[in-house]
Parts: sequence; structure tokens; C-alpha cells
Amino acid sequence: MSQRRLGLPLLGFGVGLRSQHYPYLLEQAPEVDWFEIISENYIDSQGRPRAVLEEIAERYPIVMHGVSLSIGSSDPLNFDYLNKLKRLARDVRAHWVSDHLCWTGIAGRNTHDLLPVPLTEETLRHVRERVRIVQDVLERPLVLENPSTYLEFASSTMPEWEFLGRLADDTNCGLLLDVNNVYVSSVNHQFDPVEYIENVPHDRIVQVHLAGHTDLGTHCIDTHDGPVIDAVWELYRRTHQLTGGVSTLLEWDARIPEFPVVHQEVLKAQQFIGQSPQPSDFPGVSTAALSGAGQPVSERISIPQPAIFVTAEVE
Amino acid sequence: MDPYSLKTLQEWMFSVITHPQGVEAGISSPPAQNVIPVGSGNLTQVVVSSRNISSQTRLAIYNNAYFARLIECLGAEFPTVRQIVGDDPFAGFVVSYLQSSPPASYTLGDLGGGFPGSLRRTRPDRETESSTPDWADFLIELATLERAYAEVFDGPGEERDAALSLAALQQVPAERWPDVRLRFSRSFRQFHFQFPVHEVISKIRRGDPVEAPVPEDTFLVVHRRQYVVRRFAVLPVQFHLLGELRAGVSLANALESALSSGPEDPEFSPVSLQSWFQSWTAAGLLTGIEFE
Repeated sequence: MSQRRLGLPLLGFGVGLRSQHYPYLLEQAPEVDWFEIISENYIDSQGRPRAVLEEIAERYPIVMHGVSLSIGSSDPLNFDYLNKLKRLARDVRAHWVSDHLCWTGIAGRNTHDLLPVPLTEETLRHVRERVRIVQDVLERPLVLENPSTYLEFASSTMPEWEFLGRLADDTNCGLLLDVNNVYVSSVNHQFDPVEYIENVPHDRIVQVHLAGHTDLGTHCIDTHDGPVIDAVWELYRRTHQLTGGVSTLLEWDARIPEFPVVHQEVLKAQQFIGQSPQPSDFPGVSTAALSGAGQPVSERISIPQPAIFVTAEVE
Repeated sequence: MDPYSLKTLQEWMFSVITHPQGVEAGISSPPAQNVIPVGSGNLTQVVVSSRNISSQTRLAIYNNAYFARLIECLGAEFPTVRQIVGDDPFAGFVVSYLQSSPPASYTLGDLGGGFPGSLRRTRPDRETESSTPDWADFLIELATLERAYAEVFDGPGEERDAALSLAALQQVPAERWPDVRLRFSRSFRQFHFQFPVHEVISKIRRGDPVEAPVPEDTFLVVHRRQYVVRRFAVLPVQFHLLGELRAGVSLANALESALSSGPEDPEFSPVSLQSWFQSWTAAGLLTGIEFE
């Protein structure tokens, strides 16, 4: 049995930091428990994104979440990238550094997608070795997230929860349980999401992700473009029961509403763990804004996350 | 033993999901067939189908996402080019670019670095022998400036350093001015365009209507101040002077070079020169003074 949450702190209810919200956050300084950043948007920044991040980091706890580690790739690890991650984590006093159980490219190419790995003994050995190297470089535990996946390899021999559990046991890495991703993958691969939640090692879970997705009838796409659906909230409730509570974060990355709407959405999590402010307790945020879409699913472009890009401010 | 190694599966999947003609063409392509020789009929040997969708459709989700995501990101970096040419032609430019320059960086910030060059390499031949700039030149210049905006926005700047003051400039003794060399903001860029593309970009961003582009020699300075990208047009003589000074040439030699670069400029005088330096300093373009 490992130390609960690897001994990492319980940060409360956080929001993914997005450039659209910079002006509001700097002017209003709202009470928010913590922020998660997309690491790649900041590790090379010498402009406004980095300056804003440093200001935010003075006021709020920060956690780093990456999309390009490519821990499952057959390519060599990128040590230049890892060293930059380490420097940024030091500079913003990041509580932990996370990425995904995935590969993003091969032969030096990056698809900028979170691609699924075959869940085999060979992959487990490969990822296990790489997690150890990454943790040596970062000098801290790596936290890995279950991605939303849209296909399964015929060669896979174990469920994802078993793969993650064995990986965490062997390397002492942490887990970021994205309950929306569990739901999306359960629809796409017809498994029981509750069985997944109940079997993933709870003491290894450092953080939970919540997000909205797009249900296309035959399958779901992890679009991060709307509120969390009830079935995902139920998975979150069960996760809370099993873990005893972990840091919780909402991702909203497309058709991003104003900050109070995003913040209110993550605070709804309190209703599912017995802390209970109701949506009406948040003045100025309309229920229409929280209903999400306003546009039929069929008319939207459903791009799976990540597709996060910071645009220039020009006078 | 697993039928296919991790590396084999990844090489195969990468070839399939990045194929511009879709998954079926990707599965049949030599790079995919060389590592896993399956066809659409026996695809389930590699990727299992779900109750609702086939193996091919599952791969198509990743194939569609690859292009849609990168088109979206480049559309955000080149919003004027996209709006001027329209969504579908813009997507065509991007797909062509991705084929010749697949993304290799860990950051999407690097994705658009080669896009203007790709437009330049793939531009259609000119219809005549005329040297008059055409539509393709206009698009290439738009893309060049939009990329510069992105690079200047997130690149190095002087926001954390003490700025060069007008007082410091005024304290330079008159006899030392010929030997003065000036340090420039690290964000400083200058462009000589054949179209006033900066005005087109501003109109598009404001939502104003844009007329058919008319060629016009345009000398432009781009830099960053207080984390916001600034741009302003300069006179040809100012453009040459700034270029020489930026290259480290002393003021006297830079002036001589700039004044001999073209016809005599009626805008130039010692008084105007002083006001130029004052405005460039106030704008944060100049960051230091050195003497020989």
C-alpha cells in the first residue's frame, strides 16, 4: 500500500488556465483553489503567457499538465523537453507534473494527438522503463492520465485499469483519473465504467479530471466543449467515495465560456461529495450558459482534445 | 508473444492516420503495407471493431482529428489568410504543408513556422512575365506577417528590463553622435512588403470590409511592448536606417548608407532625424546606446 495520493496535497477544485480568461483573472482575482496549465504552452514562452502564468502562480497553486511527453512512443525520450519541464515546474512551484498514457508520434513526428497504446506486457515493460527515466530527470513522481480512446488493438491483453495499476505499482508514479475519459472510452469500447473506477488503484490517484464530451450516437468524442454530464458526475461521486477525496479539475477547451461559468461547473462537484452549493448560489451565471451547447451536435466540429493554441495579441 | 511489436504498430498507425486521402488509402499505402500488410478486409487482426463502428471508422476518427486539429490551430495563427481564401482552400494549403513539413516539435507554437515558406514554394506560376505582384504574393506576405506576429508575441522582449529613456538619448554629446551604435529590442523585426498587408490584417480583425488588394511598397516595423505586438509603417529611408543600425553599424555610416539607398528623401532633415529617434525610443524599439 502506497501513501495516499503519493503524499501530495489535496488542492480542492481547480480550473484549467486558458488564455481567454487572462484578463478576467488578472482584473478580478477570483477565489479559485488552484489552476492547471498546459505545460507546452509555457515552457518556451518569453511573452505574455509566461508573464501571466508567473503572476497567477504568485496567487494560486499550480499543477502542470502536458500533452507531448509521449511516454508510450517507441521514439527516444526528448531530454531537452524534459529539462524544460523540470525548469518550469521549479519556476512556478508546480505541485505535480502530469501527462497521458499515450504516444503522440514516431520517427520524430508529432501528431499532437493522444494516441492509444496496445495494452500488452511489451508496452508495460517499455512504459515502465520510460516512467522511471522521466521521474529521475524530473526528480519527482510522474502523474499519468487515462486518455479517451477511440480504438483498441487486437493485441491488447489487459484492461486499461490493470495496465495503469501495474505501472503505478512498479514505478510509484501517480495517476490522474479522468472520469470523463473513463466514460467516453467505456462507450467506445463497451466496458463497465464503474468496474474501471472500482479497480484502478485508489491510493495512487492524485487528481481527477472532469470535462464535457460530444455523444455522436455510435461513439463519444472527448471535446471539452460543454458541461459535465450526469453519468460522469456519478462516476465522480463513486471516485470520491473510493479515494476519500482528491484534487479535482475541470477542463473546458472549445467554445470556452466566461470564467465564472467554467468555475461554477467545477464547483458543482461539491454537490456530489456532500458539500453542496447549488447553481443558484452563483450570482451572475445563467443556467443557459451552463446548458452548454446552444448549437446542435451535428453542426459542431468535434475535434478531440488537445487542440490548445495561444493566439497573439496585436495592437 | 505479441503478433506485432509496439514499434511496428506505431509506425503502421502513424502512416494510416496521417494519410491525406483517408484511412483506406493509408492502409493501402506502401509505408503501412511495409510494416503490417493488412487490408480493409482483415483489419480486425490489428484494430478490433466495436459494437457500433468498424475498425476502419475507429481509425478514421484519428485520421480526421489529425487534420482537423492542425487546420484549426493554423487557422488560429493565420486568421486573415484563412478568411481571405476561405475555409476549404485554407485547409488545402494546410494539408499540403503538413505533407511536406509534418509537425515535429513538442509545441504547437512551432507548427506554423514553415507555413509562409510552404505557400512560397507551392505558389502558382505567374500568368505573365510581369513583375507586378500578384494574388499569390499577397497571400504569402499576409502569412509572413501573421507568423511574425505570433513569433514576436511569444518570443523574447524587454518587459522585465529598464527601458532606454529619452533623457539618456538627450545626454549624448553632439560630437559623439556619429559614433553611436544602438541596441534594439530583441522583438524588433522589419519587413519590406509589396502590399499593405498590415492594414488588411487590421481590417479583418476589426471586421471591416476588405477590398481587392492593390500593390503598394510597404516598409514595416514589428515589435512588442508591454507584451502586445505593435506594428507601424516607416519611410524607406527610415527602413534602411533602422536596418543598418540593427546590424550594428555606427550612426554616421548607417545614415550615409540609408541616404544613398534611394532618391533624396524630402522627409529627411536633422530635425526629423532627432524626432525619429525620440519616437523610436518612446516606442521601446531602442534599448541601449554604445559608443565606439
